[in-house]
Amino acid sequence: MAGCQEPPSASLERAKKALEHASNMGAIKYAETTYRSAEQLVQQGWMEMARQKGRLGPFRNFKPADSILNLAFETANRATEEASTYVRNSEALIQAERTTLKSELSEWKEGLNGALSRNKVEHYWNAAELAYRTSEILLNNREFDEARKMVAEGKESLKKMAEMITAYDNDDSSKIHIWRRWVAETVESSRASGRYAIIVDKSKHRTYLIKGGKLIHTYDSEFGYNPAHQKMFSGDGATPEGKYYITEEKGYGRSKYYKALLINYPNASDKVRFEENKRKGYISKRARIGGLIEIHGEGGKGRDWTEGCVALTNKDMDHLMKYVGVGTPVTIVRRSDRWP
Amino acid sequence: MIQRVALVLAAFALLVIAGCSKAPEAEMQAANNAINAARSAEAEQYVPNAFRMASDTLNAAMAAKNEQDSKFALFRSYGKSKEMFIRAQALAEEASAKAAEEKERVRQEVTNLITEAQAAIDAANAAYAKAPKGKGNKAELELIKTDLAGVAAQFEEAKNDFNAGKYLTAKSKVQAVMQKANSITEEIATAAGMKK
Repeated sequence: MAGCQEPPSASLERAKKALEHASNMGAIKYAETTYRSAEQLVQQGWMEMARQKGRLGPFRNFKPADSILNLAFETANRATEEASTYVRNSEALIQAERTTLKSELSEWKEGLNGALSRNKVEHYWNAAELAYRTSEILLNNREFDEARKMVAEGKESLKKMAEMITAYDNDDSSKIHIWRRWVAETVESSRASGRYAIIVDKSKHRTYLIKGGKLIHTYDSEFGYNPAHQKMFSGDGATPEGKYYITEEKGYGRSKYYKALLINYPNASDKVRFEENKRKGYISKRARIGGLIEIHGEGGKGRDWTEGCVALTNKDMDHLMKYVGVGTPVTIVRRSDRWP
Repeated sequence: MIQRVALVLAAFALLVIAGCSKAPEAEMQAANNAINAARSAEAEQYVPNAFRMASDTLNAAMAAKNEQDSKFALFRSYGKSKEMFIRAQALAEEASAKAAEEKERVRQEVTNLITEAQAAIDAANAAYAKAPKGKGNKAELELIKTDLAGVAAQFEEAKNDFNAGKYLTAKSKVQAVMQKANSITEEIATAAGMKK
Protein backbone atom coordinates (compact mmCIF):
# COMPACT_ATOMS: atom_id res chain seq x y z
CA MET A 1 0.00 0.00 0.00
CA ALA A 2 2.51 2.55 1.13
CA GLY A 3 5.78 3.11 -0.72
CA CYS A 4 8.71 2.21 1.47
CA GLN A 5 8.13 0.51 4.81
CA GLU A 6 11.64 0.29 6.26
CA PRO A 7 13.34 3.44 7.69
CA PRO A 8 16.34 4.32 5.50
CA SER A 9 18.83 4.17 8.40
CA ALA A 10 21.65 3.05 6.08
CA SER A 11 21.04 6.08 3.83
CA LEU A 12 21.14 8.35 6.88
CA GLU A 13 24.46 6.88 8.07
CA ARG A 14 25.92 7.11 4.58
CA ALA A 15 24.91 10.80 4.24
CA LYS A 16 26.28 11.60 7.73
CA LYS A 17 29.60 9.95 6.87
CA ALA A 18 29.82 11.83 3.57
CA LEU A 19 29.17 15.08 5.42
CA GLU A 20 31.87 14.27 7.96
CA HIS A 21 34.30 13.50 5.16
CA ALA A 22 33.47 16.81 3.46
CA SER A 23 34.13 18.63 6.71
CA ASN A 24 37.47 16.85 7.11
CA MET A 25 38.42 17.87 3.57
CA GLY A 26 37.93 21.55 4.47
CA ALA A 27 34.54 21.98 2.77
CA ILE A 28 33.32 24.27 5.59
CA LYS A 29 36.00 26.74 4.50
CA TYR A 30 36.48 26.06 0.80
CA ALA A 31 32.99 24.89 -0.34
CA GLU A 32 30.82 26.45 2.33
CA THR A 33 27.59 26.93 0.34
CA THR A 34 27.47 23.33 -0.90
CA TYR A 35 28.51 22.01 2.50
CA ARG A 36 25.72 23.93 4.24
CA SER A 37 23.12 22.62 1.72
CA ALA A 38 24.30 19.07 2.36
CA GLU A 39 24.08 19.69 6.09
CA GLN A 40 20.49 20.96 5.73
CA LEU A 41 19.51 18.03 3.51
CA VAL A 42 20.82 15.51 6.06
CA GLN A 43 18.76 17.21 8.72
CA GLN A 44 15.70 17.39 6.49
CA GLY A 45 15.94 13.71 5.49
CA TRP A 46 16.49 12.69 9.08
CA MET A 47 13.41 14.64 10.25
CA GLU A 48 11.28 13.22 7.45
CA MET A 49 12.36 9.70 8.41
CA ALA A 50 11.40 10.42 12.01
CA ARG A 51 8.05 11.85 10.96
CA GLN A 52 7.23 8.70 9.04
CA LYS A 53 8.36 6.53 11.94
CA GLY A 54 5.79 8.30 14.11
CA ARG A 55 2.96 7.38 11.77
CA LEU A 56 0.98 4.17 11.99
CA GLY A 57 2.54 1.27 10.13
CA PRO A 58 0.27 1.16 7.08
CA PHE A 59 0.61 4.93 6.53
CA ARG A 60 4.40 5.04 6.65
CA ASN A 61 6.31 6.02 3.51
CA PHE A 62 10.07 6.34 3.85
CA LYS A 63 10.64 6.93 0.16
CA PRO A 64 10.82 10.77 0.35
CA ALA A 65 13.21 10.56 3.34
CA ASP A 66 15.39 8.12 1.42
CA SER A 67 15.42 10.43 -1.62
CA ILE A 68 16.39 13.43 0.49
CA LEU A 69 19.15 11.49 2.22
CA ASN A 70 20.48 10.27 -1.13
CA LEU A 71 20.52 13.87 -2.33
CA ALA A 72 22.30 14.86 0.92
CA PHE A 73 24.92 12.16 0.23
CA GLU A 74 25.47 13.44 -3.31
CA THR A 75 25.62 17.06 -2.16
CA ALA A 76 28.12 16.22 0.58
CA ASN A 77 30.26 14.42 -1.99
CA ARG A 78 30.01 17.45 -4.24
CA ALA A 79 31.16 19.65 -1.34
CA THR A 80 34.16 17.32 -0.87
CA GLU A 81 34.95 17.50 -4.58
CA GLU A 82 34.59 21.30 -4.64
CA ALA A 83 36.84 21.68 -1.61
CA SER A 84 39.43 19.29 -3.08
CA THR A 85 39.34 21.10 -6.41
CA TYR A 86 39.74 24.45 -4.68
CA VAL A 87 42.68 23.15 -2.65
CA ARG A 88 44.25 21.49 -5.71
CA ASN A 89 43.78 24.54 -7.92
CA SER A 90 44.95 26.95 -5.25
CA GLU A 91 48.04 24.88 -4.57
CA ALA A 92 48.83 24.62 -8.28
CA LEU A 93 48.15 28.30 -8.89
CA ILE A 94 50.21 29.49 -5.94
CA GLN A 95 53.02 27.07 -6.76
CA ALA A 96 53.06 28.40 -10.33
CA GLU A 97 53.11 31.99 -9.09
CA ARG A 98 55.85 31.11 -6.60
CA THR A 99 57.90 29.43 -9.34
CA THR A 100 57.64 32.59 -11.46
CA LEU A 101 58.61 34.73 -8.49
CA LYS A 102 61.54 32.44 -7.72
CA SER A 103 62.87 32.58 -11.27
CA GLU A 104 62.42 36.38 -11.30
CA LEU A 105 64.36 36.55 -8.03
CA SER A 106 67.21 34.48 -9.53
CA GLU A 107 67.29 36.48 -12.74
CA TRP A 108 67.33 39.78 -10.89
CA LYS A 109 69.99 38.55 -8.47
CA GLU A 110 72.20 37.73 -11.42
CA GLY A 111 71.35 41.00 -13.15
CA LEU A 112 72.16 43.00 -10.04
CA ASN A 113 75.63 41.52 -9.68
CA GLY A 114 78.00 44.28 -10.64
CA ALA A 115 75.21 46.72 -11.48
CA LEU A 116 75.85 50.23 -10.25
CA SER A 117 72.38 50.54 -8.79
CA ARG A 118 72.69 47.27 -6.82
CA ASN A 119 73.16 48.68 -3.34
CA LYS A 120 70.33 51.16 -3.84
CA VAL A 121 67.78 48.62 -4.94
CA GLU A 122 68.80 45.36 -3.28
CA HIS A 123 66.52 45.90 -0.30
CA TYR A 124 63.56 45.49 -2.68
CA TRP A 125 65.02 42.17 -3.77
CA ASN A 126 65.41 41.12 -0.14
CA ALA A 127 61.82 42.13 0.64
CA ALA A 128 60.63 40.03 -2.30
CA GLU A 129 62.65 37.07 -1.08
CA LEU A 130 61.21 37.39 2.43
CA ALA A 131 57.71 37.41 0.88
CA TYR A 132 58.63 34.30 -1.14
CA ARG A 133 59.75 32.43 1.97
CA THR A 134 56.68 33.52 3.96
CA SER A 135 54.38 32.35 1.15
CA GLU A 136 55.90 28.87 1.42
CA ILE A 137 55.08 28.61 5.13
CA LEU A 138 51.56 29.97 4.52
CA LEU A 139 51.03 27.45 1.73
CA ASN A 140 52.17 24.57 3.93
CA ASN A 141 49.67 25.74 6.55
CA ARG A 142 46.95 25.78 3.84
CA GLU A 143 46.50 29.53 4.17
CA PHE A 144 45.93 29.88 0.43
CA ASP A 145 44.58 33.42 0.25
CA GLU A 146 47.34 34.77 2.48
CA ALA A 147 49.99 32.86 0.53
CA ARG A 148 48.76 34.41 -2.73
CA LYS A 149 48.75 37.86 -1.13
CA MET A 150 52.35 37.31 -0.03
CA VAL A 151 53.45 36.25 -3.53
CA ALA A 152 51.77 39.39 -4.91
CA GLU A 153 53.68 41.48 -2.35
CA GLY A 154 56.93 39.89 -3.52
CA LYS A 155 56.12 40.68 -7.14
CA GLU A 156 55.28 44.26 -6.18
CA SER A 157 58.69 44.64 -4.53
CA LEU A 158 60.44 43.41 -7.68
CA LYS A 159 58.32 45.78 -9.75
CA LYS A 160 59.40 48.73 -7.59
CA MET A 161 62.99 47.59 -7.99
CA ALA A 162 62.63 47.43 -11.79
CA GLU A 163 61.09 50.91 -11.83
CA MET A 164 63.98 52.27 -9.82
CA ILE A 165 66.51 50.64 -12.15
CA THR A 166 64.67 52.10 -15.16
CA ALA A 167 64.84 55.53 -13.52
CA TYR A 168 68.62 55.08 -13.19
CA ASP A 169 68.87 54.00 -16.83
CA ASN A 170 66.85 57.01 -17.96
CA ASP A 171 69.12 59.26 -15.93
CA ASP A 172 72.09 57.61 -17.64
CA SER A 173 70.57 58.18 -21.09
CA SER A 174 70.14 61.88 -20.44
CA LYS A 175 73.79 62.24 -19.46
CA ILE A 176 75.59 59.82 -21.78
CA HIS A 177 76.58 62.57 -24.25
CA ILE A 178 78.55 64.34 -21.48
CA TRP A 179 80.49 61.18 -20.59
CA ARG A 180 81.16 60.42 -24.25
CA ARG A 181 82.56 63.94 -24.65
CA TRP A 182 84.80 63.67 -21.56
CA VAL A 183 86.20 60.33 -22.76
CA ALA A 184 86.76 61.62 -26.32
CA GLU A 185 88.51 64.75 -24.98
CA THR A 186 90.78 62.66 -22.71
CA VAL A 187 91.72 60.23 -25.50
CA GLU A 188 92.33 63.10 -27.93
CA SER A 189 94.45 65.06 -25.45
CA SER A 190 96.54 61.92 -24.67
CA ARG A 191 96.96 61.33 -28.40
CA ALA A 192 98.02 64.93 -29.03
CA SER A 193 100.50 65.04 -26.13
CA GLY A 194 101.64 61.41 -26.34
CA ARG A 195 101.26 61.23 -22.54
CA TYR A 196 99.56 58.84 -20.14
CA ALA A 197 95.95 59.35 -18.99
CA ILE A 198 93.50 57.34 -16.90
CA ILE A 199 89.85 56.68 -17.77
CA VAL A 200 87.56 55.08 -15.19
CA ASP A 201 84.29 53.45 -16.32
CA LYS A 202 82.05 52.78 -13.31
CA SER A 203 79.48 50.65 -15.16
CA LYS A 204 82.20 48.30 -16.44
CA HIS A 205 84.05 48.35 -13.12
CA ARG A 206 87.24 49.08 -15.03
CA THR A 207 90.10 51.57 -15.03
CA TYR A 208 91.97 52.09 -18.29
CA LEU A 209 95.54 53.29 -18.64
CA ILE A 210 96.11 54.98 -22.01
CA LYS A 211 99.11 56.51 -23.69
CA GLY A 212 99.14 58.52 -26.94
CA GLY A 213 95.41 57.91 -27.14
CA LYS A 214 95.90 54.11 -27.14
CA LEU A 215 94.80 51.61 -24.52
CA ILE A 216 97.80 50.24 -22.62
CA HIS A 217 96.26 48.34 -19.70
CA THR A 218 92.91 47.55 -18.08
CA TYR A 219 92.41 47.14 -14.33
CA ASP A 220 89.36 45.68 -12.54
CA SER A 221 88.05 48.32 -10.14
CA GLU A 222 85.70 48.84 -7.23
CA PHE A 223 83.93 52.06 -6.25
CA GLY A 224 81.88 53.78 -3.60
CA TYR A 225 79.05 51.69 -2.15
CA ASN A 226 76.58 53.95 -3.90
CA PRO A 227 78.12 53.97 -7.37
CA ALA A 228 75.04 54.68 -9.47
CA HIS A 229 75.18 58.41 -8.80
CA GLN A 230 77.35 61.43 -9.35
CA LYS A 231 78.88 62.40 -6.00
CA MET A 232 76.72 65.06 -4.34
CA PHE A 233 78.16 65.45 -0.82
CA SER A 234 80.55 63.94 1.70
CA GLY A 235 79.37 60.56 2.98
CA ASP A 236 76.95 59.72 0.15
CA GLY A 237 79.10 56.72 -0.88
CA ALA A 238 79.22 57.88 -4.52
CA THR A 239 82.36 58.02 -6.68
CA PRO A 240 82.58 61.44 -8.40
CA GLU A 241 82.21 61.71 -12.18
CA GLY A 242 84.29 64.33 -13.98
CA LYS A 243 87.64 65.33 -15.39
CA TYR A 244 90.40 65.41 -12.76
CA TYR A 245 94.16 65.03 -12.44
CA ILE A 246 96.51 63.45 -9.92
CA THR A 247 97.64 65.90 -7.23
CA GLU A 248 99.66 63.60 -4.99
CA GLU A 249 101.32 60.19 -5.01
CA LYS A 250 101.21 58.22 -1.75
CA GLY A 251 103.67 55.39 -1.62
CA TYR A 252 103.60 52.36 0.67
CA GLY A 253 103.15 53.41 4.31
CA ARG A 254 101.54 56.74 3.40
CA SER A 255 98.10 55.36 2.63
CA LYS A 256 95.68 53.30 4.69
CA TYR A 257 94.95 51.36 1.50
CA TYR A 258 98.41 50.18 0.42
CA LYS A 259 99.32 52.96 -2.08
CA ALA A 260 97.24 55.82 -3.43
CA LEU A 261 96.92 58.51 -6.10
CA LEU A 262 95.00 61.53 -4.79
CA ILE A 263 92.90 63.45 -7.34
CA ASN A 264 91.70 67.06 -7.31
CA TYR A 265 88.11 66.40 -6.23
CA PRO A 266 86.28 68.74 -5.78
CA ASN A 267 87.16 70.59 -8.96
CA ALA A 268 85.57 73.88 -10.04
CA SER A 269 82.48 72.30 -11.62
CA ASP A 270 81.98 70.01 -8.58
CA LYS A 271 81.92 73.11 -6.37
CA VAL A 272 79.42 74.92 -8.62
CA ARG A 273 77.15 71.87 -8.72
CA PHE A 274 77.41 71.38 -4.94
CA GLU A 275 76.38 75.00 -4.24
CA GLU A 276 73.55 74.80 -6.75
CA ASN A 277 72.24 71.55 -5.21
CA LYS A 278 72.32 73.19 -1.80
CA ARG A 279 70.51 76.26 -3.05
CA LYS A 280 67.82 74.15 -4.72
CA GLY A 281 67.42 72.14 -1.53
CA TYR A 282 68.48 68.83 -3.14
CA ILE A 283 70.99 68.36 -0.35
CA SER A 284 71.09 69.52 3.25
CA LYS A 285 72.37 73.01 4.02
CA ARG A 286 74.76 71.38 6.49
CA ALA A 287 76.19 68.98 3.89
CA ARG A 288 79.90 69.14 3.14
CA ILE A 289 81.39 68.58 -0.30
CA GLY A 290 84.05 66.13 0.92
CA GLY A 291 87.40 65.35 -0.62
CA LEU A 292 90.30 62.88 -0.40
CA ILE A 293 89.16 60.96 -3.45
CA GLU A 294 91.89 58.57 -4.45
CA ILE A 295 92.73 55.67 -6.69
CA HIS A 296 94.03 53.28 -4.03
CA GLY A 297 94.88 49.67 -3.26
CA GLU A 298 93.21 46.96 -1.15
CA GLY A 299 90.71 46.29 -3.94
CA GLY A 300 89.69 42.89 -5.26
CA LYS A 301 86.83 42.42 -2.78
CA GLY A 302 84.38 41.81 -5.61
CA ARG A 303 81.94 44.52 -4.53
CA ASP A 304 81.66 48.30 -4.33
CA TRP A 305 82.74 49.23 -0.84
CA THR A 306 84.68 52.51 -0.69
CA GLU A 307 83.37 55.91 0.41
CA GLY A 308 83.84 57.18 -3.15
CA CYS A 309 87.40 56.22 -4.08
CA VAL A 310 88.49 53.89 -6.88
CA ALA A 311 90.01 50.71 -5.45
CA LEU A 312 92.43 48.47 -7.39
CA THR A 313 94.28 45.38 -6.24
CA ASN A 314 97.68 46.11 -4.69
CA LYS A 315 99.38 44.42 -7.64
CA ASP A 316 97.52 46.67 -10.09
CA MET A 317 98.39 49.75 -8.00
CA ASP A 318 102.05 48.80 -8.28
CA HIS A 319 101.64 48.45 -12.03
CA LEU A 320 99.71 51.71 -12.49
CA MET A 321 102.07 53.79 -10.35
CA LYS A 322 104.98 52.84 -12.59
CA TYR A 323 103.44 54.91 -15.40
CA VAL A 324 101.51 57.78 -13.86
CA GLY A 325 102.23 60.61 -11.44
CA VAL A 326 101.20 64.09 -10.36
CA GLY A 327 99.43 65.87 -13.20
CA THR A 328 98.21 62.72 -15.03
CA PRO A 329 94.60 63.31 -16.18
CA VAL A 330 91.95 61.08 -14.58
CA THR A 331 88.51 61.02 -16.22
CA ILE A 332 85.76 59.21 -14.33
CA VAL A 333 82.50 58.41 -16.12
CA ARG A 334 79.47 56.37 -15.15
CA ARG A 335 79.35 54.81 -18.63
CA SER A 336 81.54 55.07 -21.75
CA ASP A 337 79.51 53.09 -24.23
CA ARG A 338 81.68 53.89 -27.31
CA TRP A 339 85.13 53.45 -25.82
CA PRO A 340 87.44 51.50 -25.73
CA MET B 1 -18.78 3.28 43.26
CA ILE B 2 -16.72 1.07 40.90
CA GLN B 3 -17.80 3.32 38.06
CA ARG B 4 -16.55 6.38 39.95
CA VAL B 5 -13.19 4.75 40.73
CA ALA B 6 -12.80 3.79 37.07
CA LEU B 7 -13.51 7.36 36.01
CA VAL B 8 -10.95 8.78 38.48
CA LEU B 9 -8.31 6.29 37.27
CA ALA B 10 -9.04 7.11 33.64
CA ALA B 11 -8.78 10.83 34.39
CA PHE B 12 -5.49 10.21 36.23
CA ALA B 13 -4.14 8.13 33.32
CA LEU B 14 -5.07 10.91 30.88
CA LEU B 15 -3.33 13.46 33.09
CA VAL B 16 -0.19 11.29 33.13
CA ILE B 17 -0.28 10.85 29.35
CA ALA B 18 -0.97 14.54 28.83
CA GLY B 19 1.96 15.39 31.16
CA CYS B 20 4.38 13.20 29.20
CA SER B 21 3.10 14.44 25.87
CA LYS B 22 4.21 18.01 26.44
CA ALA B 23 6.84 18.80 23.77
CA PRO B 24 10.23 19.84 25.20
CA GLU B 25 10.22 23.22 23.44
CA ALA B 26 12.33 25.00 26.07
CA GLU B 27 14.97 22.25 26.03
CA MET B 28 15.03 22.28 22.23
CA GLN B 29 15.48 26.04 22.18
CA ALA B 30 18.25 25.86 24.77
CA ALA B 31 20.08 23.15 22.78
CA ASN B 32 19.72 25.15 19.56
CA ASN B 33 21.09 28.25 21.27
CA ALA B 34 24.02 26.26 22.64
CA ILE B 35 24.82 24.91 19.13
CA ASN B 36 24.70 28.41 17.66
CA ALA B 37 26.97 29.64 20.43
CA ALA B 38 29.43 26.80 19.69
CA ARG B 39 29.38 27.74 16.01
CA SER B 40 30.10 31.37 16.93
CA ALA B 41 32.96 30.15 19.10
CA GLU B 42 34.42 28.57 15.89
CA ALA B 43 34.03 25.08 17.35
CA GLU B 44 33.56 23.76 13.79
CA GLN B 45 37.14 24.82 12.97
CA TYR B 46 38.89 24.29 16.28
CA VAL B 47 37.17 21.14 17.67
CA PRO B 48 35.25 19.63 14.73
CA ASN B 49 34.66 16.23 16.37
CA ALA B 50 33.18 17.69 19.56
CA PHE B 51 31.00 20.01 17.50
CA ARG B 52 29.81 17.16 15.26
CA MET B 53 28.88 15.06 18.29
CA ALA B 54 26.77 17.89 19.72
CA SER B 55 25.21 18.62 16.37
CA ASP B 56 24.37 14.94 15.74
CA THR B 57 22.83 14.63 19.20
CA LEU B 58 20.69 17.68 18.53
CA ASN B 59 19.57 16.24 15.20
CA ALA B 60 18.78 12.90 16.86
CA ALA B 61 16.80 14.73 19.56
CA MET B 62 14.85 16.64 16.94
CA ALA B 63 14.19 13.41 15.05
CA ALA B 64 12.92 11.80 18.24
CA LYS B 65 10.66 14.79 18.87
CA ASN B 66 9.50 14.77 15.27
CA GLU B 67 8.62 11.11 15.57
CA GLN B 68 6.46 11.82 18.60
CA ASP B 69 4.89 14.88 16.96
CA SER B 70 3.67 12.63 14.16
CA LYS B 71 1.93 10.23 16.54
CA PHE B 72 -1.65 10.44 17.71
CA ALA B 73 -1.70 12.85 20.70
CA LEU B 74 -2.59 10.18 23.27
CA PHE B 75 0.39 8.03 22.30
CA ARG B 76 3.05 10.76 22.34
CA SER B 77 5.96 10.56 24.75
CA TYR B 78 8.71 13.19 24.68
CA GLY B 79 10.77 11.90 27.59
CA LYS B 80 13.52 10.47 25.36
CA SER B 81 13.80 13.56 23.14
CA LYS B 82 13.86 15.83 26.18
CA GLU B 83 16.79 13.91 27.60
CA MET B 84 18.56 14.08 24.25
CA PHE B 85 18.03 17.84 23.97
CA ILE B 86 19.54 18.28 27.42
CA ARG B 87 22.45 16.05 26.37
CA ALA B 88 22.90 18.01 23.10
CA GLN B 89 22.96 21.27 25.03
CA ALA B 90 25.62 19.91 27.39
CA LEU B 91 27.71 18.62 24.46
CA ALA B 92 27.41 21.95 22.64
CA GLU B 93 28.49 23.83 25.75
CA GLU B 94 31.39 21.42 26.10
CA ALA B 95 32.35 22.02 22.45
CA SER B 96 32.24 25.79 23.03
CA ALA B 97 34.50 25.45 26.05
CA LYS B 98 36.90 23.13 24.18
CA ALA B 99 36.97 25.49 21.18
CA ALA B 100 37.83 28.39 23.48
CA GLU B 101 40.57 26.26 25.06
CA GLU B 102 42.00 25.23 21.68
CA LYS B 103 41.85 28.76 20.37
CA GLU B 104 43.58 29.95 23.52
CA ARG B 105 46.23 27.24 23.07
CA VAL B 106 46.92 28.43 19.50
CA ARG B 107 46.84 32.06 20.69
CA GLN B 108 49.33 31.23 23.43
CA GLU B 109 51.54 29.37 20.95
CA VAL B 110 51.59 32.39 18.65
CA THR B 111 52.13 34.72 21.65
CA ASN B 112 55.24 32.70 22.53
CA LEU B 113 56.36 32.78 18.91
CA ILE B 114 55.92 36.56 18.87
CA THR B 115 58.11 36.83 21.99
CA GLU B 116 60.72 34.59 20.35
CA ALA B 117 60.56 36.59 17.11
CA GLN B 118 60.93 39.83 19.06
CA ALA B 119 64.02 38.34 20.76
CA ALA B 120 65.39 37.29 17.35
CA ILE B 121 64.81 40.82 16.00
CA ASP B 122 66.41 42.35 19.11
CA ALA B 123 69.40 40.02 18.67
CA ALA B 124 69.71 41.03 15.00
CA ASN B 125 69.50 44.72 15.96
CA ALA B 126 72.11 44.22 18.69
CA ALA B 127 74.39 42.40 16.26
CA TYR B 128 73.90 45.24 13.80
CA ALA B 129 74.76 47.83 16.46
CA LYS B 130 77.95 45.95 17.35
CA ALA B 131 78.95 45.17 13.74
CA PRO B 132 82.35 46.60 12.78
CA LYS B 133 81.72 50.02 11.22
CA GLY B 134 84.82 50.12 9.02
CA LYS B 135 84.93 51.87 5.67
CA GLY B 136 84.62 48.60 3.77
CA ASN B 137 81.47 47.56 5.64
CA LYS B 138 79.32 50.59 5.05
CA ALA B 139 77.52 49.20 2.00
CA GLU B 140 76.67 45.92 3.76
CA LEU B 141 75.54 47.71 6.89
CA GLU B 142 73.25 49.98 4.88
CA LEU B 143 71.70 46.91 3.30
CA ILE B 144 71.32 45.09 6.60
CA LYS B 145 69.65 48.18 8.02
CA THR B 146 67.01 48.16 5.27
CA ASP B 147 66.63 44.39 5.71
CA LEU B 148 65.95 44.90 9.40
CA ALA B 149 63.36 47.53 8.51
CA GLY B 150 61.67 45.00 6.17
CA VAL B 151 61.64 42.38 8.91
CA ALA B 152 60.16 44.88 11.37
CA ALA B 153 57.42 45.77 8.86
CA GLN B 154 56.45 42.13 8.35
CA PHE B 155 56.50 41.56 12.09
CA GLU B 156 54.02 44.42 12.52
CA GLU B 157 51.83 42.86 9.82
CA ALA B 158 51.93 39.53 11.69
CA LYS B 159 50.98 41.23 14.95
CA ASN B 160 48.04 42.93 13.23
CA ASP B 161 46.85 39.52 11.99
CA PHE B 162 47.24 38.21 15.54
CA ASN B 163 45.21 41.09 16.99
CA ALA B 164 42.52 40.41 14.40
CA GLY B 165 42.29 36.80 15.66
CA LYS B 166 43.97 35.37 12.51
CA TYR B 167 46.30 33.25 14.60
CA LEU B 168 47.36 30.76 11.95
CA THR B 169 48.26 33.48 9.43
CA ALA B 170 50.12 35.35 12.16
CA LYS B 171 51.99 32.15 13.06
CA SER B 172 53.27 31.63 9.50
CA LYS B 173 54.38 35.24 9.17
CA VAL B 174 56.10 35.26 12.56
CA GLN B 175 57.97 32.06 11.65
CA ALA B 176 59.27 33.70 8.45
CA VAL B 177 60.25 36.82 10.41
CA MET B 178 62.21 34.70 12.90
CA GLN B 179 64.04 32.84 10.14
CA LYS B 180 65.03 36.10 8.46
CA ALA B 181 66.10 37.81 11.72
CA ASN B 182 68.25 34.78 12.63
CA SER B 183 69.83 34.75 9.18
CA ILE B 184 70.71 38.46 9.54
CA THR B 185 72.35 37.79 12.94
CA GLU B 186 74.26 34.89 11.40
CA GLU B 187 75.31 37.02 8.43
CA ILE B 188 76.71 39.71 10.73
CA ALA B 189 78.47 37.12 12.91
CA THR B 190 80.05 35.51 9.84
CA ALA B 191 81.17 38.91 8.53
CA ALA B 192 82.60 39.85 11.96
CA GLY B 193 84.39 36.48 12.11
CA MET B 194 85.94 37.08 8.72
CA LYS B 195 87.23 40.49 9.82
CA LYS B 196 89.21 39.10 12.70
